[in-house]
Amino acid sequence: MNLQTFLLMRHEIILMIIILVMLAAEIFSDDKKNTYNLSIISIILFAIHTIIGYLPGEQGTLFGKMYINSELTVQMKNILNIGVLIVLLQASQWLRKPENEGKTTEFSLLIYSTLLGMYFMISSGNFLMLFIGLETATIPVATLAAYDKYRNQSSEAGIKLLLSSALSSGILLFGLSMIYAVAGTFYFEQISSNLATMSHTPALLALGMIFFIAGMAFKISLVPFHLWTADVYEGAPVPVTSYLSVVSKGASVFIFTIVLYTVFKSMLVLWTDAVIGIAVATMIIGNLFALRQKNMKRFLAFSSIAQAGFILLGTVAGSQFGMSTVLYFVLIYIFSNLAAFGVVSIISYSTGKESMNDYKGLYNTNPKLSLIMMLALFSLAGIPPVAGFFGKFFLFMASAEQGYYYFVLIAVLNTIISLYYYLLPVKAMFIDTNETPIEPLKSELLPKIALVLCVVGLLVIGFASPVFEYLKEISFGI
Amino acid sequence: MSTEGLIVFFLVAVTLVGFALVFSSFIPPTSKNLFKAETYECGIETTGITWIQFNVGYYLFAILFLIFDVETVFLYPWATVMKELGIVAFVEILIFLIILGLGLLYAWKKQALKWE
Repeated sequence: MNLQTFLLMRHEIILMIIILVMLAAEIFSDDKKNTYNLSIISIILFAIHTIIGYLPGEQGTLFGKMYINSELTVQMKNILNIGVLIVLLQASQWLRKPENEGKTTEFSLLIYSTLLGMYFMISSGNFLMLFIGLETATIPVATLAAYDKYRNQSSEAGIKLLLSSALSSGILLFGLSMIYAVAGTFYFEQISSNLATMSHTPALLALGMIFFIAGMAFKISLVPFHLWTADVYEGAPVPVTSYLSVVSKGASVFIFTIVLYTVFKSMLVLWTDAVIGIAVATMIIGNLFALRQKNMKRFLAFSSIAQAGFILLGTVAGSQFGMSTVLYFVLIYIFSNLAAFGVVSIISYSTGKESMNDYKGLYNTNPKLSLIMMLALFSLAGIPPVAGFFGKFFLFMASAEQGYYYFVLIAVLNTIISLYYYLLPVKAMFIDTNETPIEPLKSELLPKIALVLCVVGLLVIGFASPVFEYLKEISFGI
Repeated sequence: MSTEGLIVFFLVAVTLVGFALVFSSFIPPTSKNLFKAETYECGIETTGITWIQFNVGYYLFAILFLIFDVETVFLYPWATVMKELGIVAFVEILIFLIILGLGLLYAWKKQALKWE
């Protein structure tokens, strides 16, 4: 191993350096007023890191194929980077609140640590690496969820997240041990080649795969493993909620798809049934619960559960097209969900209002915010010409191409149900009147930049076909 | 697919565990004795309810102890093969120690080491 091969890990190494620099800066800066400047510096450093990620680099494997760096994993990391950058920009206003004094730098440190875990998880070529990455990605998130340590709800969210992810990690490990028992190795490549030589699938391996799917379903919050989601999303501070619902979820979906496509490719028939079942349940239950939510954070939580069900449409396809639609949809989902959360967070910090009824008549006082919220909700629902339409359309296409017509039909029906509740806040904002509407708000520069980024993404990515073409080129199918 | 094997495996597992649990409640001699509930061998008897809040400092010290614990775990195997690995490994272990040291410094800065 020489320095050249270390460049394959440039994402991880640069992020690691940023973490250490920020930690050292936090330790050695005496002035308390400096902490806000530090968080600005950390955002700038991360923006540079995001841009560096797009520079072309070499591909290869490291540590005896434990670490895989391909164009696909690099782009997955870049997609996550965009999400994290927007979350950091949105959080900057919240971090200036007096209650967060003395722990502003820690927010970005913890976010970077989880992101580092996700990098290793995505790039893993070995189940142990995947597990370590997953744990590194999960534990700091629990700390983040309990960030408002004097608010009971926030502490509750942290404990719930920690306990449920501990349980899911246990399930995942149990499944991995079964896979190891049959295949005799943890390396993705060797497992799939060992499986290819077997005449029939051993029952123990199938059980191991189901445990693996269940463990990952916890992280992606798929039904029936979704019960922690709404409470955690409601209790956690808004930036953490948006981080959880977008970046964490996206990373888990990515590695879930990769593992199903590489390790379990010879068991396609088995896992498609399981995943279709989970996806249908996720869409229906996520939608039905979202219908009756009055709190905007809970509403977005259940909507994100339903969206995860839609993402599985692409996973099930098992084709190159299917994987590229997953990437594309997650990219669009980052912009649309973060735009919605951005508006919710601005209103929540300034007024503390989170109920849907408070949003009545928002258009009269805050026209820009309501327009952005409308665009975001349209994109989540899948109404053209916003990017969400194209994302969903390609997902449906990928699944229909493989002949899962009934599955697509159920998904389309669910889209129609979701239209109703996505339009409820729109109706509240534009049509309903309110005697005490939210007063005109002035947000700071950085959250504004975040919202502009989201809106540009929403409007451009749907029409930018080179993006999808490129994602398709680097994806692979079974 | 041999689903029969799976079903048999499941049934055997359930019956075995259930049998062990039920059987072990019948077999052993039981004695009801107040002294059984006391602290084993050493330790003093508690006064009042034990479910109280205790100083978070204990927890922080345990976490900080972990830093040195992990350090030893990695330093020991390195030390045994240090001659063969040479200067590169030395630099690498130095980076590792600096990272761990930063963690301790951070705890120090945040006054986790203060005991009041």
